[in-house]
Amino acid sequence: MIKQFFVILILSIVGYFLVDAFFKVPFGEKRNNVGNYYIEKSPVDLKVSNAVTAIVVNYRGFDTLGEVTVLFLAATGLGSIMYRRKQKGEKEARAKNPSSRIIQIGSQILFPMIILLGGYVFIHGHLSPGGGFQGGAIIATASLLMLISYRKFKINHNTITWIESIAGVVFASLGFVGLVLGRTFLENFLPSGELNDLLSGGIIGIIYIAVGFKVASELTGVIDTVLLNNRPEAQKEN
Amino acid sequence: MGIFLVYFGYFFVTIGAIFLFLGALGIYRMPDLYTRLQAGTKASTLGAMSLILGVAFLEPDWWIKLIIMILFIAFSNPLSSHAIARGSYKHNLKPFSKEQIDAYEEVEESKEEQE
Repeated sequence: MIKQFFVILILSIVGYFLVDAFFKVPFGEKRNNVGNYYIEKSPVDLKVSNAVTAIVVNYRGFDTLGEVTVLFLAATGLGSIMYRRKQKGEKEARAKNPSSRIIQIGSQILFPMIILLGGYVFIHGHLSPGGGFQGGAIIATASLLMLISYRKFKINHNTITWIESIAGVVFASLGFVGLVLGRTFLENFLPSGELNDLLSGGIIGIIYIAVGFKVASELTGVIDTVLLNNRPEAQKEN
Repeated sequence: MGIFLVYFGYFFVTIGAIFLFLGALGIYRMPDLYTRLQAGTKASTLGAMSLILGVAFLEPDWWIKLIIMILFIAFSNPLSSHAIARGSYKHNLKPFSKEQIDAYEEVEESKEEQE
């Protein structure tokens, strides 16, 4: 009884402040000046037609470096939690039944096309919707397709780690180059170019390519770890 | 010549829209997973391909990208529906039929006899 009373008391206190804050928010007024600044200035200053990319990589580039680090930590943590030593006589196969010939041949055709799409998405990140994270995720789905269709398809974790590390180092060192040549970390030191041109936006394109490689390799590693350790035989043994 | 291209484009876009609508209707109306897959995949694959072809007539500058998209749909859509149908069959989802006909089972049995 007294527990319920406290629950109702806490809920009413929280509810009072929420309702109070809700009525203080002006409705239908243009108060968001920083958003208007980004929309107006990003095509003029940076020559970037995708304002989201301009915010994510240029105005809030340091934040993105943090996000990439969070993703790296998540992938590493998952790998260390899911890691399991291979037992004697354990097979490498992931699924019981092999997938049919149709899927195997079709995935061979689709694999390069998906890689192409992913590369397109992150190379054109400053021109069209999309960017490094999205393109990387698309490339990771390509490797997921190969892992599903071929039971013995192996992913070399050394290569993945190398790609990931090089991409991260490129991102961070671009920031330091900006610090040396300009004034701030991740300052745009390359010429901005023309609006709607592929080679425009300064360092945004390079950063997004690095982010694309990094996200693709990380997500591929995550998918491989989960698929390899979660197969039904492994659960039975434990 | 240009006006004919526009008419061709609208024709294909209309055909594609009709096929997509029929595909959606089929998903709603059909009784079980396999027939729904059939309706959804066949109608939506051809509908989307026809629609993109119509866009290629309307906007001739984009035709390379649009052809790549058509190829991608032509490869990926049947493949994924095949994978879904095969996976659900392997998980013992029986097809809905009054006559209890299961042609795939017969094929599998004859395969096992050969082996």
